[in-house]
Amino acid sequence: MRRSLLEIKGLSCSFGGLRAVDGLDLELEPGVLAGLIGPNGAGKTTCFNLITGRVKPTGGRVTFEGRDLAGLRPSRINHRGIARTFQNIRLFGDLSALENVLVGFHGGLRASFISAILRLPGYVRQERQMEKRAEELLELVGLGRLINEKAANLAYGSQRLLEIARALATGPKLLLLDEPAAGMNPQETATLSRLVLRLRDEMGLTILLIEHDMHFVMNICQSLTVLDQGRVIARGTPRAVQLDKAVIEAYLGAGIEMAQEEGGDA
Amino acid sequence: MRLLGGIFDLGPLPRRSATRGRDNMLTVGFCLAVAWVLYWLDGHGDPYLVHMLTMAALFATLAVSYNLINGVTGQLSLEPNAFVACGAYVTALLTLSPQEKMASFILEPLVWPLSEFCIPLLPALLIAGSLTALMAFLMGFPVFRVRGDYLAIVTLGFGEVIRVVAENAQSVTNGPLGLKGIPRDTNIWWAWGLLGVTLFVIVRLVNSSYGRALKAVREDETAAEAMGINAFWHKMLAFCTSAFFEGVAGGLLAHLLTAISPKQFDFLFTFTLLIIIVIGGLGSTTGALLGAFLVTFGSEHLRFVEEGFTVPLIGLDIPAIPGMRMVIFSLLLVMIMIFMRRGLLGRHEFSWRWLAAVLGRRTPAGGGK
Repeated sequence: MRRSLLEIKGLSCSFGGLRAVDGLDLELEPGVLAGLIGPNGAGKTTCFNLITGRVKPTGGRVTFEGRDLAGLRPSRINHRGIARTFQNIRLFGDLSALENVLVGFHGGLRASFISAILRLPGYVRQERQMEKRAEELLELVGLGRLINEKAANLAYGSQRLLEIARALATGPKLLLLDEPAAGMNPQETATLSRLVLRLRDEMGLTILLIEHDMHFVMNICQSLTVLDQGRVIARGTPRAVQLDKAVIEAYLGAGIEMAQEEGGDA
Repeated sequence: MRLLGGIFDLGPLPRRSATRGRDNMLTVGFCLAVAWVLYWLDGHGDPYLVHMLTMAALFATLAVSYNLINGVTGQLSLEPNAFVACGAYVTALLTLSPQEKMASFILEPLVWPLSEFCIPLLPALLIAGSLTALMAFLMGFPVFRVRGDYLAIVTLGFGEVIRVVAENAQSVTNGPLGLKGIPRDTNIWWAWGLLGVTLFVIVRLVNSSYGRALKAVREDETAAEAMGINAFWHKMLAFCTSAFFEGVAGGLLAHLLTAISPKQFDFLFTFTLLIIIVIGGLGSTTGALLGAFLVTFGSEHLRFVEEGFTVPLIGLDIPAIPGMRMVIFSLLLVMIMIFMRRGLLGRHEFSWRWLAAVLGRRTPAGGGK
């Protein structure tokens, strides 16, 4: 059996009386492209926040490459190899696109701030390398022409792509994409699909994505997990999930058939 | 010559900058010109002007360091008066001769090891800077647990605590009497030398990968953490670097004023620095520099309003009102906040390339197409 990259067991998180995530189990094998879907407020983004250490769980465990992530700072979890994008875009608005990506490389910098101030050869070499790779990443996501543009001035779709490039700069093994296609037109979404598939196939990344665009999700994901009110209600291949009764109920509201039956009785 | 240019190379590392060599040469030339002007003034100029230039350089050093934590890293903190006080007291205690100390500490004698010490200014300044940085380091653990307004309040509290300690730890600081008879060792070269070193270190830090990380923390701390930047340690880096230079500048300030007391280092001191960096543009190093010179010279040239004068033409008599300068400064600050909300330079930096672009626009012949 292949060892899973990410293993989530019984993960729970409550905000006051609200159980945002309730006993979630999830396993991701290396190289898989999986989707996390569910109606609004199902706990999908909270799940990402729990994995990346932004929110502390009230129960359960997250294991990455066989090591527990409990109690680590978000930056340490990122160093372990998990990178994410944000649903409500969180770029460094005042910095250029290139600088945003360069910030992603900073965690991997092997030079002290003193050698950075003195510009010792070791630091200068790394800085040049980082710059070259940042340009390559921006080229990869299709922002090669906008490297000197301020992030805040980029178009919405470009900002989402820049978030992906910035996350890639941290050298992740697992990439968490939070609604990458939100606000994109069909053409941009198609380009994004190709990009996400390339990330998996060419860079060997494991990807977990949250998305509401069902067409996008059904087309590219190998497996889906459906959340509703913090619980997993279904999992499997996109086709199987599409036909799942619990899923239809969660999305369309419970008791459509029941309502029809009641109507018949009356 | 290229090596010299390399040393003065302060900008971000190059990608494809054709004008880099020229810009570095301009920086070298500018620094040499400033040094020459200072040298000339030191020999022939008005001693009062020299004193003002020395003071302005110290305030510029303080403003540039304060801007690193407040403007670049975006952590509104209000404690530089504590750091300057720490630097001033440490330097003064290390450099005063044992006889002077004996004469000063009349109420309670100075504690033993300090009472025998007397070392030259340079090592004393380095020790003062390091101790101030250490103080910032210890202070960083509790204060960086909070952000934003809370951070401002907590650091303000720490600033007051240090002042109260200086007032009450009589056997070390001589209490409210302060320290007198500090030799007037600070001259224009010490002050401008320190400003040069501070600018070199801070500008290069800001333009490095570490500087980008600091700005990332300012822009969005959550995103910075998620991208592998330990926000706590980066804030600490900015805080301690800024404290080091504030401590050294405090030491030089003590040796310029020759007498220090806890009263000088109250919140108004921090407030002046805050005005300087806000006028210059929070986050801009050249802005902080500009603000420091404007405020230092401005407050000197506005001295006349406190002495009473007659408005020409109208013949209106203005009586002497102490504190009138602060009113004018406040009005000025209000005007800047209304018309230039981000200060004179905003977050922009002065650069030769920018100057060339402006000049090129003015004179089409020089600017080419």
